[in-house]
Amino acid sequence: MKRLGGYGPGAAVVAVPLGIALAGPLLVGEPTARAASFTLDAGHRLGTDFVGRDVVQQVLLGGRPVVLVALAATVLVYLVALPVGLACALTHRRWLEEVLMRPLDVLLAVPSLLMILLVAAAFPPGKAGLALLVAFVSAPDATRIVRAAAAEAASRPAVEALRMQGESWWRLAVGYVGRSILRTLAADAGIRLTGVLYLVATAAFLGIGVAPDAADWAVMVDRNRTGLIVQPWAVVVPALLIVALTMGGNLLVDAAMERRTPVRKGRRT
Amino acid sequence: MIAAVTGLTVEVDGRALVDRVSLRIRPGTVTALVGASGSGKTTTGLALLGAFPAGARVTGEVTVHGTRVGHVPQHPAAVLNPARRAGALLRDMARQQVRDLPRSRRRAAARQRVARALADAQLDDAGKLLSRYPHQLSGGQQQRLVLAQALLLGAGIIVADEPTTGQDALTTRRIVEQLAAVAGRGIAVLLLSHDLDVVRALADEVLVMRGGRVVEQGPAYRVLDAPADPWTKELLAEPRTLPYADSGQAGTELLTVEGLTARHRTGGARVPVLSVDRLTLRSGECLALVGRSGSGKTTLGRCLAGLHRDHTGRITLDGTELPRSLRDRSRAQLAAVQYVFQDARAAFDEHRPVLDQVARTAVRLRGAEPREAVARARRVLTDLGLAGELVRRRPGLLSGGELQRAALARALLAEPRVIVCDEITCGLDPVTRRSLLNLLGALMSRQDAPAVVLITHDLDTAAPADRVAVLDGGAVVEEGTSEQILNAPRHPFTVALVGASGRRGAAVRR
Repeated sequence: MKRLGGYGPGAAVVAVPLGIALAGPLLVGEPTARAASFTLDAGHRLGTDFVGRDVVQQVLLGGRPVVLVALAATVLVYLVALPVGLACALTHRRWLEEVLMRPLDVLLAVPSLLMILLVAAAFPPGKAGLALLVAFVSAPDATRIVRAAAAEAASRPAVEALRMQGESWWRLAVGYVGRSILRTLAADAGIRLTGVLYLVATAAFLGIGVAPDAADWAVMVDRNRTGLIVQPWAVVVPALLIVALTMGGNLLVDAAMERRTPVRKGRRT
Repeated sequence: MIAAVTGLTVEVDGRALVDRVSLRIRPGTVTALVGASGSGKTTTGLALLGAFPAGARVTGEVTVHGTRVGHVPQHPAAVLNPARRAGALLRDMARQQVRDLPRSRRRAAARQRVARALADAQLDDAGKLLSRYPHQLSGGQQQRLVLAQALLLGAGIIVADEPTTGQDALTTRRIVEQLAAVAGRGIAVLLLSHDLDVVRALADEVLVMRGGRVVEQGPAYRVLDAPADPWTKELLAEPRTLPYADSGQAGTELLTVEGLTARHRTGGARVPVLSVDRLTLRSGECLALVGRSGSGKTTLGRCLAGLHRDHTGRITLDGTELPRSLRDRSRAQLAAVQYVFQDARAAFDEHRPVLDQVARTAVRLRGAEPREAVARARRVLTDLGLAGELVRRRPGLLSGGELQRAALARALLAEPRVIVCDEITCGLDPVTRRSLLNLLGALMSRQDAPAVVLITHDLDTAAPADRVAVLDGGAVVEEGTSEQILNAPRHPFTVALVGASGRRGAAVRR
């Protein structure tokens, strides 16, 4: 497969949804008066939505919650995965590894969307709650990857040499092992962000953590799909923005990985 | 003549790896390329196979007349498929060769070809070995398996890259016999090696390389016995024979091992791999642990340093018992017993400058301020011949010998009582090895010198030690002064080991 060069394509694809998500609420201005539902008249460039609001304004407003919740959830995932994964990789106490990993394995066995639906049914979450919930179901995967990558790095002689020097756990874990697994982490973070974005959007689409009429791309796709034939823009535009966000994010991570790939030198003898 | 290289130059990024090298290869002869690490041996050898480093600019000519070239690399595991049993590829190749026979006779013919190739490669026990996976074979067996593959393909030339590096004397002798047998069948061998004893035993024609150029070439007897080039003379110089430590300097008992049993976890079971009744190290002395690979000498060293936790028994330093794992040792105890790793490159963090890493020992174990620690590290590194900007670089830019010296400096900054050196000269060429061992000697002649445990498979390296302990099958089979062990060995295993290394050992002067 031919490789696309550099950060250009990824940045271009991701810039549109990210720009709208972050700067949109500042550009939106005063809300316009409500018109009839699902119309395409001259006053509204992308028409109106299911309750007669301007689609342009809704798109401008609706990115921020999706992006912020996804980013917050991804950060939360690594707040769990990194310490637990590194602790498991660097300990020689098997019981500690068991205690830390087994509960996560159990969680891994339950389909993540089902888990979100179940918990949300019992305790209806807000936006922060949704971020926590998505992080909760994504953490086991990420922890396993961190642990596996770190276990390899932790068995190298360099780690024994650092121990011989009396280095602290922090230096070992973050200074050496963490740094050695950076490439794996970057690849995983790219996939994780996409997966989390998918979960956040799906949850919002199913009405978890958001009001039914909230300005939110995922909610827009859900609510406006009844008018898809009459007024497609209210569905197509937010859906495309979500797709562009995930795709662009992945392209960016790919480009970053290519950059970091070291040039392999031949063995000298 | 079945192959010739004429005026070969290989350049990468404007730097010549190989510079105008010419050589001829005749059937049934052994041509040896000799030189230090980085002298261009491997690049020349691979050129015969038509392989060049990525992005290389190649001029000159390589011609091979009507035969195939087989390659036995330094790390044979790298060319064996870890997911297939050892015999699978051999059988595939043999089947390919007997395709024109009638179907009924193919199987027998293929089996016969495989058997012949295995016999030619001197792989005994072939029936049992072929059903194993490559990681279940020893390094020597892997090497013979790769050789068998090359012979099965009908290779008329075998390129053997450092076949004896890291092997003990007994294995080395086997490899020499095996390559001699290959040459005896009319196959040409191109031997890339810095082990001059092997070259002496095998080569008909010798080319000495330095910095990509051939500095001297000719028949083996002339180059090896009457070298003309100063570099060849330096390569051929005798190994160090002066004792590392001044005799009589050895003092009181420093480190004692009693009733030690070390285990390794294989599968689910913990298998005992080493048991030592009693072994002592006195202050200021150098004790060599000698044995074949797998004899338990490295495990013993790792137990001393606290790197191998799974053991029972007592290890005492100055009468106080040391905790089993280095995680439980105090800073003073960590500093007292330091360990220098076999693979210096793997024992450094590739992201940080060498100087910073070396200096951390003084910070962590000696409580030095960071600036003071860097100054101390500079001093020790300069003592070991690593001065200037070199040590500010990352490990990737230093050579193996330089890194090993830096590793020694890292251990010395702890001001240890005992240094365990695990095969620190393994894989170094004779010149680099000698200078490293001379440094060790200079170090041990100081007033407050640490005692040294020198783990090695090489009797030349062990000979200048004060005492030698010979390990075999996880037990110390013989222990005594190095003179006694090398000149009058008593245990049959020691006799075999000393016998295999021939002329070595006799030359130690006291």
